[in-house]
Amino acid sequence: MSHSTTAPTTKAFGGGRSPFNVSYGKIMMWFFLLSDAFTFSAFLISYGTTRFFSAVWPDSNHVFSSFPFMSGGDKPLMFVSLMTFILILSSVTMVLAVHAGHCNDKQGVIKWLLWTIIGGIAFLSCQAWEWTHLNHQGAWWASFQDVHSPKDVYTHFFKPDVLAAATPEQLSQSTNNFFNFFFTITGFHGAHVTSGVIFNILILVNTVNGVYEKRGHYEMVEKVGLYWHFVDLVWVFVFTCFYLL
Amino acid sequence: MSHGSHDENNIQHLYEGDQSKLYSGVLAHHHDAKSPESKAQVAKIWKITLILSIITIAEVLGGLYLSEFMAKWLLNAIFLVLTILKSAYIVSVFMHLGDEVKWFRFCVLIPLTLFIWFIIAFIYDGGQWKIFNENNPARFDYHQTK
Repeated sequence: MSHSTTAPTTKAFGGGRSPFNVSYGKIMMWFFLLSDAFTFSAFLISYGTTRFFSAVWPDSNHVFSSFPFMSGGDKPLMFVSLMTFILILSSVTMVLAVHAGHCNDKQGVIKWLLWTIIGGIAFLSCQAWEWTHLNHQGAWWASFQDVHSPKDVYTHFFKPDVLAAATPEQLSQSTNNFFNFFFTITGFHGAHVTSGVIFNILILVNTVNGVYEKRGHYEMVEKVGLYWHFVDLVWVFVFTCFYLL
Repeated sequence: MSHGSHDENNIQHLYEGDQSKLYSGVLAHHHDAKSPESKAQVAKIWKITLILSIITIAEVLGGLYLSEFMAKWLLNAIFLVLTILKSAYIVSVFMHLGDEVKWFRFCVLIPLTLFIWFIIAFIYDGGQWKIFNENNPARFDYHQTK
């Protein structure tokens, strides 16, 4: 019998080894993310159902047309594109941290985790600004419920021709629905980013303290990395559903 | 400090055992950060970054300029294809699912086919309610400008 280190001696499902060649922790992270994907898609699909149900719908180029420290609202999609780039780049720095972990490169893991944390905090700051800005325009959960409001309150959110043709009931109902979904879904995503930043800080502290160096591998960075990439992945879909479609 | 000793100062084993035997191909071989394999992997990561950036810029430009004259359904179809493409790159390369064994990939991807039913059924339902509302005399006032 040869003493090869790669050829397993037991059958795939005979116990004693992972049939998927993946550790227990990583498999569980994958299946947690799968369940989380169903939660997010339930949100996004109910958003889609409500939108198909509605006679009119706010126009994203009007709703999201502002940029911090710049007056005027004629920069549609610019700020959310910046947020998207920040999150994609933080996903890149995370995958570089995971790669440094594969190489047992402690300094590399520390450097890239720090960048990832900075990216996450920058994204959350952008989101805080966007929420504040929309709130100043009157938007919040359960806002715009009064069907007797003048049409002026909706000018920030609709194309002018749609606004002119719509009834007050249609405007009230669709704007109310739109912002309920917007704040719920981006809020749920933001909560994921927040917990991701906290996990990243925890594994950064462990890395600095040499916990993973002593353990001999950086698998924990990989598991938190999976979570962080998932958060980026969800944003890809949120971006499409709220800002593009 | 010897391996396998269970003294109070070495409680690491309580948190996570040595799982290195269970690793996938990604981690099975530790290599040096300066090695050609490592550099090739980093180069691949930056290449994917470039692709994701280009797709995002294309989406934003499409949302800004093409929406003026292109049919809405066609533009939306393009957006959805680009979104799926982006997520495929993230899952396959950044999350290393492409490096896992075939049956683990299927275990993650097969449940996602439920979305095909999920999306069609619920979007269709929303569309039907709109038609119902428009033809329901009790709801006519909703569609009439006052």
